[in-house]
Amino acid sequence: MPSGALLFQSVILGLLLGGLYALLAAGLTLYFGIMRVVMIAHSAFLILAAYLAWWSHARLGVDPLLSMVVTVPLFFGLGVLLQRLLLARLRPVTLTMMSVLLTFAIAVLIEGLLGYAFSGTQRRIQLGYGSASLGLFGARIAVVKLIAFGLAAVALLTLYLLLKRTRFGWALRATIQHPDAARLIGIDTDRIAGFGFGVGLATAAVGGTALALDTTIYPSLHWHWIGPLMAIIVVGGLGSVPGAAVAAMLLGLVQSLLQIPLGTTWAQTVFYLALFATLAFRPQGFFGGRLAQRF
Amino acid sequence: MPSASELPAAPRHRLGGLFRAVAILAVAAAVLSFPSWAPNPYILSAGVVVLNYAVLSTSWNFVGGFTGYISLGHGALAGLGGYATGLLVVRAGLPSFVALAAATLLVAAFAVPVGYAALRVRGASFVIVSIALVLILLLVFQSWASFTGGSRGLVVPRPFPGLLRPEHHRVFFYLFAALLAVALLVWWLVDRSRFGLGLKAIREDEDKAESLGTPTFGYKLVVFVVSAGFTGLAGGLYALWFGDLDPVFQFSILTGSYLVLMALLGGVRQLFGPLVGALVVGIGLEYFKVEFGNTPLHLAATGLLLALVVMFMPDGVLPALGALVDRFLRPAQSSIREVTAAELRDRGSGPPEGDRPADPPASVPVGAPDGRSAEERS
Repeated sequence: MPSGALLFQSVILGLLLGGLYALLAAGLTLYFGIMRVVMIAHSAFLILAAYLAWWSHARLGVDPLLSMVVTVPLFFGLGVLLQRLLLARLRPVTLTMMSVLLTFAIAVLIEGLLGYAFSGTQRRIQLGYGSASLGLFGARIAVVKLIAFGLAAVALLTLYLLLKRTRFGWALRATIQHPDAARLIGIDTDRIAGFGFGVGLATAAVGGTALALDTTIYPSLHWHWIGPLMAIIVVGGLGSVPGAAVAAMLLGLVQSLLQIPLGTTWAQTVFYLALFATLAFRPQGFFGGRLAQRF
Repeated sequence: MPSASELPAAPRHRLGGLFRAVAILAVAAAVLSFPSWAPNPYILSAGVVVLNYAVLSTSWNFVGGFTGYISLGHGALAGLGGYATGLLVVRAGLPSFVALAAATLLVAAFAVPVGYAALRVRGASFVIVSIALVLILLLVFQSWASFTGGSRGLVVPRPFPGLLRPEHHRVFFYLFAALLAVALLVWWLVDRSRFGLGLKAIREDEDKAESLGTPTFGYKLVVFVVSAGFTGLAGGLYALWFGDLDPVFQFSILTGSYLVLMALLGGVRQLFGPLVGALVVGIGLEYFKVEFGNTPLHLAATGLLLALVVMFMPDGVLPALGALVDRFLRPAQSSIREVTAAELRDRGSGPPEGDRPADPPASVPVGAPDGRSAEERS
């Protein structure tokens, strides 16, 4: 039996990791809500943002957090372009399958270009405060992990307020709930859908920066993220951001706890087991609404 | 969607049929005689690789072509077939081809629960499960090193120890060609059967198919298992030929995407679509490997090509070529409708006097009628 302090530390780390998962899963939920698109490339953009953060630190000497000044607007623009120029042009009949393929192709393209530009070498940001940690009831928590969690939490809160409190958020949610009715009351659903994708991809920029703070990155890392993220949105049930957040926290926690007896590699399987079990026994997910039926 | 084999026997089409038969014979002759005119063993081994891709993407097309469900995980099923064959030979001491048969059955059996989880809900969950399959198998086969050999790889003994390398390639070339012929034959039979009709109904509109009494879930599961069986068989044969397995290559997401790219490029609704795609992409892959080695640009090029095909040619080159031929040879008939109203009337009263404008390949690209788009958004 592991000691109480170790358990406590795992719980804290699991919750911190779950926060990042929740932010990324929220982006995926948003895309799915807007267009029924499962965006495989989300985690590739995450790694791209992490590389940009690493590059701005290593080559320009800027704090990685500052790279968000560039990456967040950049990714917003990329998201709008991605939706307007590519996804919106696919045939509606085969949209579900073809959009998965298209975003998969984009993920592979990004991975290839990252490998070409930065080589396959593993990279890590060396920060002055990188090794600092806080002691809390016997658990040691790295400061960078707290910063990453803080970033994710702020981004998630911003996303929530954006969706609930602004006119754009109302229009976006109307577009998600009933596109035809939204058009009838004068919402330009095409434009709103494009902006929605932009917002989704902007969360990947924030997530990527948070990830770069305390993780070693390499071009094919995104496959380690897309699997868990897919599992989270399926377990949470699509279409509900709170569902995704709860599933993210829960699975992040379980993964972190399982790392004690099983080690990091085998602990990852919890996501896939959860994915298969959910699809086999409760395919609409555990918190999902109407949207999940169509998944 | 009338398939190529259901053409009416009008004179023009008889000519087309003859042309088709000659083309098939020519391709078959070219494939079968390849080992005798291949200039060196390397080219011959590249031929085996391309044939392996052709078998795999034809197997993929059982699911992708008939039902429209796209799997990115067939590379992993092939890898599983390879590892199952290898492990049965190495650990259980079975003879090579007995192990191959057992591995095929194992992969098919493995596909049942996977298909059950993946196909219960329609749509994207299938793709997600297929990707997850690759990731989880890679994880397991890398980590469970005491059994699978892990990253050090697994050496599979050759089934014909007495043969020299070129002879070995030649034998396996013919084995793969035979397997390809069987896979194509089965695909063709399914295409003509009532089962195939049900599968195609699922592709066109799953809700309507279900309401008309098609056992959609059962059909999808059966065809997935058949597809997995063929894929596992091809993977096992590859293991016996290549003799050295590494989890990174056997359970690579890239293999799965090559298969999808090949099938889409050739045309998923065509019997020979995946074969054509495999010839183009497979030869291209080998060429780039020789010219440039293994660089990350491989990945980038694959991604770019896949994106281009998805965006601009989702029906593949074969239908596109057919449409092109029609445009130049029969310009008068380039109606955007598959069947005109006047023809429908004619068809009701008697045989049509003129030519039907809709040669099947031409009818494919023009937005198939559907009732799905509206529903899918709700």
